[in-house]
Amino acid sequence: MLNIDAKYRNILPPLIGVALVFLLALLAPFITGHDPVHMSISERMAPPSMEHLLGQDNYGRDIFSRLLYGARVSIAVALFSALSAGILGITIGIIGGYFGGIAELITVRLADIILSFPPILLALLIVTILGPGVETLGLVLTILYMPGYARVAYGETLSMRQLEFVEAARALGSPTWRILALTILPNILGPLIVQFSLTVSSAVLIESGLSFLGLGVVPPDPSWGLMIREARAYMVYTPMPLLWPCIALTITVLAVNSLCDALRDFYDPRAVSTNFLANLAKTLIYAPIAKDYSQIDAQKAESALLSTSGLRTEFVTPKGRIRASNDVSFTVAPGETVALVGESGSGKTITGLSVLGLVPEPLGKMTSGQVALRSKSDEIICIEELDDEGLQQVRGDEIAMVFQEPMSSLNPVYPVGEQIAESLRYHRKISRPQALLTAVDLLESVGISDPAKRIKDYPHQMSGGMQQRVMIAMALSCSPSLIIADEPTTALDVTIQAQILELLRNIRNQENRSFGMLFITHNLGVVAEIADRVLVMYCGRIVESGPVSNLFRSPAHPYTKGLLASIPHIDHSSGDRQPLYAIPGTVPALDELPPGCAFAPRCNLAIEACVQELPELEVVGDGHWSRCPRWRELRG
Amino acid sequence: MWRYIIKRVFIALMLVFVVTSIVFLVIHLIPGDPAMLLLSGGGVDPAPEVVDAMRRRLGLDLPIWTQYINYVTGILQGDFGTSFQDDHPVAEEIAKRLPRTIELILAATALSILIGVPLGILAALQHGKYVDRTLALGAGLMLSVPVFVTGTLMVLLFAQELRWVPAGGFVAFSRDPVQHLIFLLMPAATIAIGFSAAIFRMTRTTVLETLKRDWVRTARAKGLPRSVVIRRHVVRNAMGPVMTVIGLQMGTLLGGTVLVEYVFNWPGLSGFLVVAVESRDYPEVQGIILVISFLFIMLNLLVDLLYSVLDPRIRLE
Ligand code: SF4
Repeated sequence: MLNIDAKYRNILPPLIGVALVFLLALLAPFITGHDPVHMSISERMAPPSMEHLLGQDNYGRDIFSRLLYGARVSIAVALFSALSAGILGITIGIIGGYFGGIAELITVRLADIILSFPPILLALLIVTILGPGVETLGLVLTILYMPGYARVAYGETLSMRQLEFVEAARALGSPTWRILALTILPNILGPLIVQFSLTVSSAVLIESGLSFLGLGVVPPDPSWGLMIREARAYMVYTPMPLLWPCIALTITVLAVNSLCDALRDFYDPRAVSTNFLANLAKTLIYAPIAKDYSQIDAQKAESALLSTSGLRTEFVTPKGRIRASNDVSFTVAPGETVALVGESGSGKTITGLSVLGLVPEPLGKMTSGQVALRSKSDEIICIEELDDEGLQQVRGDEIAMVFQEPMSSLNPVYPVGEQIAESLRYHRKISRPQALLTAVDLLESVGISDPAKRIKDYPHQMSGGMQQRVMIAMALSCSPSLIIADEPTTALDVTIQAQILELLRNIRNQENRSFGMLFITHNLGVVAEIADRVLVMYCGRIVESGPVSNLFRSPAHPYTKGLLASIPHIDHSSGDRQPLYAIPGTVPALDELPPGCAFAPRCNLAIEACVQELPELEVVGDGHWSRCPRWRELRG
Repeated sequence: MWRYIIKRVFIALMLVFVVTSIVFLVIHLIPGDPAMLLLSGGGVDPAPEVVDAMRRRLGLDLPIWTQYINYVTGILQGDFGTSFQDDHPVAEEIAKRLPRTIELILAATALSILIGVPLGILAALQHGKYVDRTLALGAGLMLSVPVFVTGTLMVLLFAQELRWVPAGGFVAFSRDPVQHLIFLLMPAATIAIGFSAAIFRMTRTTVLETLKRDWVRTARAKGLPRSVVIRRHVVRNAMGPVMTVIGLQMGTLLGGTVLVEYVFNWPGLSGFLVVAVESRDYPEVQGIILVISFLFIMLNLLVDLLYSVLDPRIRLE
C-alpha cells in the first residue's frame, strides 16, 4: 500500500501542472474577455493595466489573452498529432511485432531511420511543399511521431507474443484482431502512455520552434513561438512581452517532461524500487547496536586468524528492514578451511562481504558485531572499526576474495594481467612492468599455460574455468593470510568445478602460500572435499557448526540432516545426478521470520517450544555446536 | 575489428541511400500535385502555365523512375540542382556554409561533453544526496527550456542588457580569430545548455549502472583506493555506452542548430535552410536536408568507431 502511494505521489504534482495548463487553455474564453487578434494601434505596447493584465503588444493586442489562446493552439496541435500518430503507429507496431517478417522489417527499420534524424528537418521539408499553417503542423508531427510509437508497440508486442495468456487466447481460437486489441493492447499500454507524453512534449517544442521561425502557425493567430518571434524585435525597449510566452512555454514543457519522467518511473518497477529504496534508506535510522558475544569460543579466538562475534548485517527493503545475517560468530584458524553452508538467502554471502566491509551500501549495513583479524605482522586488527583507507589496506593484502561469477567479476576492458597487477601495484608499491612480471608467475602457479602470452588476453577471450583461475591468481597476488571464496565453483560446469577445487586444495597445501579460507557454498558435497570445519547457516543465523567429519557423521540439527540427505548422488556410470531427498517447504522470507526457530515450519521434530523461543547454540560434541535443543531426539 | 568497421561503414552507406530515397519520395507521397502545392499560397491558385513550367523545372513530367535515377546520379556528382530564386547551384552555397555548421556542432558537442560528463559522474557518485538532487533538478529544467527561448534570452541578457558580446553574426576565422570565437560562443553555449543536460542524464544513469557491476566489487575487494576504483573500473567502463548514446541521439539533440543559427544569425547551413523554406525553394531545401542528414550519419559512424576503440570486446573481434 505504502509502495503504491509513493508511486502516485511522484505522478501527482506534474499531473496537476499539466492539467492546469490544459484547463487554462480550455477555459480561455471565460477567463479573458479580450479577443487575441483584436488590434488597437493607439495602444501599441501599452504597459499592464487593470484592463490588460500583462499589457499589450506591438499591435495593441492583449498579451494575456494571446497567451491563453496560444496555449490552445499548442495543445490542440500537440494532442491531435500525438493521438493520430499514436493510432497509426501503434497499429503498425503491433502488427509488425505480432506477425514478424516483412511487417517487422518495414516498421522497425523505418522507425529507426526516422528516429535518428533531427525531427525538425523532416518537418521543414514538408512545410516547404505544403506551406506553413496549423494543418501542415498536424500532418508533419503525425508523420514524425508515428515511428516512435511503432517502435515501442513493436518491442512490447514482441515480448508479449509468446506469453502464456496470449498463447491461451490463440489456442481458444480467438480471432487475431481480438487478441491484438483486447489481449495485447491493454497490456502494453504503460509504455505507450509514456510515449504519448513524450510526444506531447516534443510536439509543443516543434510547434513553437516552427512558429518562431515563421514557418508554423500563421499570423495573426496566437502561438507562443510566434509571440516570441514578434516580441524579439522590440525586446530592447520592453522585455516583458518576450518573457511571458517564454515562461509559459517553459512551464508547459517542464510540466509535461516531469510527467514523462514520473510515468516512466511508474511503469518501470526497477526504477521505482531503486528510488524508493534509496529514499527509505535515507530516512531510516539503523537499530542501536546490541552486542551479543555469548557464543564466542574464547580459547579459539585467541589463536584465530579471523574471528567474528555477534555480526549482524541489515538491509532496507520495501517491506522494512531485514536481518540478512544475525548474531554470526565464528573463527577461522591459520591454514584452516572453514565452509559456510546454506541455501541462497541464508545470509552466507552477506556474511562473507561483511567481513571485508563490502556490504552494498546504502541499502545494506553491518549494524553490530566485531570482526578481528590477525594480520601478517601478527597484530590484531578490528576490521569493523577501520576507516576507508584502513579497509583498503586489509582488502586484497590481508584478506582476498574470489567471487562466484568470474566473467562478470572481471572488468571486460582490461587485459587480465593488468587486473592481477593492480593489487600488487597498490599494496606493494611496485612498478607496472614489475607487477606484470609477477602476474605471469601467478598465472603459471594457477595452472595457466603460456602465461606470458595470456596476461594480454581480455576476460572474454577466456573460458569460465580460466577466468576463475585468473580470479584466484588475483586473490593470491599479495599472499593474503585469508581468502574468502564465495561459491567459486558454482557458475562452472562439473569437470571444471573439480579442477578449480583441486587447484585451491593444492595451493593451500603449498608451504609458502599457507592461508586460511572461508569457503562459502550451498553445496555440501563440495564441503566434504575441501573443508576442515563447517558452519551451517539458515535464515541469517548459524544453526550448526563443527568439524566436517563429526558433522557429516552425526548432524545435530534437523536442517543439516536434511541438507545432507539431499546431496546429489552422482551415478558414475551414467553421470546423472539424482537428488535423494528434498527438505519439505521453502525458506521463509526474512521479513516474516517466526520468533522462535526459523526452521520450525519445515521441521518434523518441531514442538510448541521451538516456535515460542529462539534456541541457543548448545555444545553437542567436541567443537560441535547446534541451535536445536532436540538434537538428542534427532540423533535418537 | 576490420569486420566491425566495414560493417558499420556499410550500414552508414545503406542509411545514406535510404535517406536519399526518403527525401526523394516525400514530394511524391504528399497528396496533391507537388508543383501546384509549391506555387500555391495566399489562397490564389497559380496560373496553369506557371505550374507547367514548375513541373518541367522539377522534372516532374518524367516517369518516376527516370526522375529517381536523374536525382541519384545528380547527387553522386555533387549536383543538388539550382536555386529557384537565382539559378545559383545549390551545391556551391552548401559547400560555403557547411563548415560553419560543422564547427558549431562540434563546438557545442565538445562544450556539452565537458560539462555533462563530469557533472554526471559527480551526481552518480553522490547518488541521492543534495548535490545529485540539485543537479538532476537543474538538468530537468534545462531540458525543458526550448533552445530558441534560451538563445533569445541570452541575446537579451548578454548582448542587449550587459553588452558583453554582440547579439550575433559571423566573422571568418582567417579574418579575426578572436572575434570569430566570440561569435561562436553564444550559439554553441545555447545548444550546450540542453545538450549538456541530456549528456549529464545519460552519464549519471550509466555510471549508476556501472557502479552495480561485479567487477567494481572485485576492484574494491582488491583494496584499490576509491579514486582508482572510480576512474579505472567505473568511469572508463561507462564511457563506451555514454558515447554510443550521445552518438545515437546527436541527431535529435542537435536539431536545435536550425533554430540557433537563426537566432544568432550564424550563416551556416541550417539557418540557410529556414530562408530556403520561407521562399519554398525546393531544390535548396532538399539539398540542405540531404547534406545535414549525411552529416549526422557520418557523426554517428564516427561515434560508433570511437566506441569500438573503447571496448576491447569489439576491437578484437
Ligand atoms: S529447534 Fe525445534 S523446530 Fe528448530 S530445528 Fe530443532 S526441533 Fe526443529
